[in-house]
Amino acid sequence: MTVLLSLFLKLSAFSLVAFGGINALLPVLFNLSVTQEQWLNSQTFADYFAIAQAAPGPNLMTVTLIGWHVSGVIGAVVATLAIAWPSSIMIFFLQRYIRGMKNPRKQKAIQFAAGALAVGLVLASAWQIALQINQGYAAYFLTIMTIVIALFTRWHPLYLIALGAALGIFGVI
Amino acid sequence: MSGFGGVLPWARRTIVEREKWLSSDEFNAMLGICQIVPGPNVVNLAVCVGSRFAGVRGALAATLGLMLGPIAIVILLGILYEHYSYMPVVQGMLRGVSAVGVGLIASTGFKMMRSELSYPPMMIVVIFTVLAASYFHLGLGWVVLIASPLALYLAWKKADIS
Repeated sequence: MTVLLSLFLKLSAFSLVAFGGINALLPVLFNLSVTQEQWLNSQTFADYFAIAQAAPGPNLMTVTLIGWHVSGVIGAVVATLAIAWPSSIMIFFLQRYIRGMKNPRKQKAIQFAAGALAVGLVLASAWQIALQINQGYAAYFLTIMTIVIALFTRWHPLYLIALGAALGIFGVI
Repeated sequence: MSGFGGVLPWARRTIVEREKWLSSDEFNAMLGICQIVPGPNVVNLAVCVGSRFAGVRGALAATLGLMLGPIAIVILLGILYEHYSYMPVVQGMLRGVSAVGVGLIASTGFKMMRSELSYPPMMIVVIFTVLAASYFHLGLGWVVLIASPLALYLAWKKADIS
C-alpha cells in the first residue's frame, strides 16, 4: 500500500511540470524509479522504454509499465492515472481560459513561452536518456542516424523502429 | 488502439476527416494548446476534445476510451518481457529499439525547434533549459520556474512581431 501511495504521489507531482509531455519527463522518471526508489534497474527501464516506443498507443506507456513492475495491474492503472490527472484538470480549465482571452497578443505570448520551454525540455530529455540507455558507439550512431532520417525524410517512425529492432536482433547494437 | 508510432495522426484522421467533429483549424488550435501545457499530450487532447462536446463526462469518456486498449496491450507485452527477456535476441532487439526511440524524441525536439528559429532570441530559453536540465542537473520544477520569466518576457516580444 505504501508503495502504491508513493508511486501515486510522486508521479502526480511530476504531471504539472512536464512541459513537452512524457518525452520531457523521462529523465525524471529514471531518477525516481531507478536511482531513488530502486523499483527497477536501469536495464529494465531502458527495455520498458523500448517496449513503450514499439507498442501501439501513447508514449506515456513507459509510466504504465513502471507501475506494473512495482505493483501489477493495479500499479499500472495507478501510475497512469497519477501522471495524467493533475494536468488533465489543468488543461480542462486552461483551454477555456486561453480560448476566451480577449487579448490576442497575450494569448500568443503564453503559447510561445510554453512552446520554447517544451522544446528545451524535450531536447534535454533526449540527451539525458541517451546517456542512460545507449551502450556503446553503435547505439549512439543509430540514434544519430534516426535523428537525421526523421528530420530530412518522410519515413514513418515505425520503419525506423523496425530497423532498430532488426539491427538489434542481428547483434549490431 | 491503432496508434503505432504515436496516436496523433490517427486522432486527426478520426476526429477531423472521418467523423468531422472538428474543423482542421479548430483541431490545430486545440492541439497547439495541448502540446504546450504540461502533462501527457494525448491525454490533454482527449480532455480538450471530449470536454468540448460533453463537458466533464465527455473528457472522462474520451480519456478512458483512449487509454484502456493501450494499457491492456502494454501489460501483455510486459508479461511477455518477463518470460523472454533472458534471450539475447530479445535483449538485442530492445537495445536497437530504444536507440531509435531516443533518436525519435530528439528529432521531435528539433522539429519543434524550427518554429523557435523565426525569433532567434527565444533560443536563449531553449539553450538555458537544455543546459540547466542536462548539464547542471537541476530538477524539472526548478528549470521551469527559473526559465519561465525569461520565456514569458521573450514570448511577449515575439507575439508583437508575429
